[in-house]
Amino acid sequence: MNTGESAPIVEFDRVVFSYSFTEVLHQVSFTLGKGEVVGLLGPNGAGKSTTIKIMAGILAPGGGTITVAGFPLPARAIDVKQRIGYVPETAVLFDSLTGQEFLELSGRLHDVPEDTLQARIRAMLETFNLLSDRSSRLDSYSKGMRQKILIAAALLHNPELILLDEPLSGLDVNAAIMIKDLIASLAAGGKTILYSSHVLDVVEKVCDRVLIIHQGKLIADGSAASLKASTNESTLEDVFRSLTGSASVDPGVARIVAAMQS
Amino acid sequence: MKTLRAAFNRLLRGPAACRLLGRMGIDARRYWLLMQLFGRLAGRREMMSHLGHNATALRTNAWVLCAMTALMTVLLLFTKPGVASYFAVFIGVTGFLMMGILFSEAGNSLVNPVEGLVLAHQPIDGATYTAAKLTHLARILLYLVPALNGIPALGGLLLGAPWYYPLLHLGAAFALGGVIALSCCAVFGWLIRFVPARRLKAAGQVAEVVPWTAFMLFQNGRGLFRHVHMPHWIPTETAPLVAIGIAAAAVSAFAVAMGLRCLSGDYLVRISAIAGGSSGAQTRPRRSRTGELVARHFGGQASRAGFEFISRMMRRDWQFRRQLIPMIPGVFGVLYLSARGWRTSPFSGTFTAVHLVPHLFGVLLFFICPLLVYGSDYKGTWLFLLAPARAFGPFARGIHAWLWLRIVVTPHLVLLAATVWLWGIRDAALFTAYSLAIASLYLGVELRLIDGVPFSKPPEPSRQSLLLPLMILGGLLMAVAVAVQHLLLFRSHTSVLAAAVLLGAAAYFATRSSLDYFATAIRFNLGLMSAEAKVLYTEVG
Repeated sequence: MNTGESAPIVEFDRVVFSYSFTEVLHQVSFTLGKGEVVGLLGPNGAGKSTTIKIMAGILAPGGGTITVAGFPLPARAIDVKQRIGYVPETAVLFDSLTGQEFLELSGRLHDVPEDTLQARIRAMLETFNLLSDRSSRLDSYSKGMRQKILIAAALLHNPELILLDEPLSGLDVNAAIMIKDLIASLAAGGKTILYSSHVLDVVEKVCDRVLIIHQGKLIADGSAASLKASTNESTLEDVFRSLTGSASVDPGVARIVAAMQS
Repeated sequence: MKTLRAAFNRLLRGPAACRLLGRMGIDARRYWLLMQLFGRLAGRREMMSHLGHNATALRTNAWVLCAMTALMTVLLLFTKPGVASYFAVFIGVTGFLMMGILFSEAGNSLVNPVEGLVLAHQPIDGATYTAAKLTHLARILLYLVPALNGIPALGGLLLGAPWYYPLLHLGAAFALGGVIALSCCAVFGWLIRFVPARRLKAAGQVAEVVPWTAFMLFQNGRGLFRHVHMPHWIPTETAPLVAIGIAAAAVSAFAVAMGLRCLSGDYLVRISAIAGGSSGAQTRPRRSRTGELVARHFGGQASRAGFEFISRMMRRDWQFRRQLIPMIPGVFGVLYLSARGWRTSPFSGTFTAVHLVPHLFGVLLFFICPLLVYGSDYKGTWLFLLAPARAFGPFARGIHAWLWLRIVVTPHLVLLAATVWLWGIRDAALFTAYSLAIASLYLGVELRLIDGVPFSKPPEPSRQSLLLPLMILGGLLMAVAVAVQHLLLFRSHTSVLAAAVLLGAAAYFATRSSLDYFATAIRFNLGLMSAEAKVLYTEVG
């Protein structure tokens, strides 16, 4: 894994984004270096998925400048999309396609030569234990199987930057372990990975650096160790709680139980 | 035929066609990949809400329109019009129908980009994506324009038109269809450029009503334009007229070109916002008093669930609103026409449009009830699979309660308040009671058209065409009912009172029977849904 000192592959400079009249990202700035694995943390609604969608060229920012792999966004969105792999937070797929057909569509849209594409699809399906289900429609897949298809589709065209939005959602233990190992191998091979998750111990294990977004602002940027040192906390979970002000969730839990029993 | 089709496909995918697409800023390779994807999705019934992707719906519509224009041709040929008038009639009909259909289809495709959520991060440029997405409009033209004009084009020969008239007629109809299709896309291009994403769905729905409203205004607008003296504004010499015509055509062409440019430039950039765009309007959390009453008198919390569910979804479901909103100008048009007869009591012995009012509720409910099962959020139906079977009876009663209270009772209260001053309390009350009984009977019968849990299926454009024979039969029965009502019933107050009581009783029994049927239909359709999971595991290809 890299420490991010090489030329940045992603540059976010004072990026602003609004939904309707609500500003959800306020002047967010950071960079991602080649080969870095960076964790993106934040409470629900903090702006994590929005940040990833902007980086994927899906949403156009309201202000600031963004460069991905040397291409400015949103002007060169198509060039950026050729170079990224994106696993969205919700597994939206064409349900009537089969797993094989969906992967073929994704690879062909990225101009992967047919022989290479078929070989890669076979390898991915084998690795994810989906080979026997490749001809079944996606609406018959379980949540974990759909997630595996999304991950495979994101990697098929060998992207430089991989954006993972809750990639372990719905995966079984073995597949989750495999994805964590895969992230490490990809980073060692020079891929840059932005990993958004609520599972803090996984982020702590796989990421070189952590970004914490809270209420649309970047409130922390550094390695897990440096964040722990600067906040005098022993775990990343404690750092997160201390920075986002969610020190205690017990009153909320008590309220839910009381409401259920009322 | 297969060889011919294969050769045509090769030509379409050949280097010349690719160069042409490239000149229009369309990436030919990705365009064909998307076309293949949409074709495959349509073949597997995933894009059934789009008329152009639904071959069954297209064929049904084509046959219905063909039959309609064949009848028109025969009637027109009997009147022996001039060739120019004959041509103008069919081109006018084509223009009017294609505008309605293509506007609705363009709106359905562009402000409902479900597939955009999957494709937004793929390297496809806006022009390619939009072109692939809107190619189905061309398919609609290929089916419906010949259906509308094939027989009339040949019929023109019987009026003494030259041998090439059919070719000219069809060519003009296709050209008109093409211009309308491009104009519809351009209108949405302008909307997408200037309307915020959260308002786009609503704006699209309003835009879809425009052609029908314009038609209604054109039909009934003589009064509105009575004081406008158009001849004063129009030059009498030919030269300025030609210049004005050229300028108007140039401005229109520029507006269409810019609209298309906006569409191809902005669409994919805004697709995520459009797909996720909601009205943004905050809904006040409040308890409905009527909901509480329904829970108390119609079967408890399950009936309240049905009442609240239908109330909220009818207002918010995009597909339902999209199909219902175009009917609104028609409803207002009919009310406007019937308003002319409101001063005369229905008991006066004179036939007025007021005699039609009870049956208009039947027509309205005939359109609403079959539409209720279709919705945008049909994937949320899993919730009902978890509900106990005993809940569906009260749930159906809650739905009926909403339809009866909101669509039947409330307008009748307004009717009573409005007519009591005009006709006197006795005539107004008796007519309202009679109308209420008939409308309730219609609702009782038409509840059977709700085939399953409301908002639980993706829209099917062929459904409306398949209901056409039922609509014609219903219209005939209504005409007979109106005649009987005028000639026999409205001669005395006593007979109307007796009829109201009898119809009220009939409505009660019809509703009870239909509610049982409706609850069974809900259970049956949910059973099909859960059985479907087994079918879906079938391997494809």
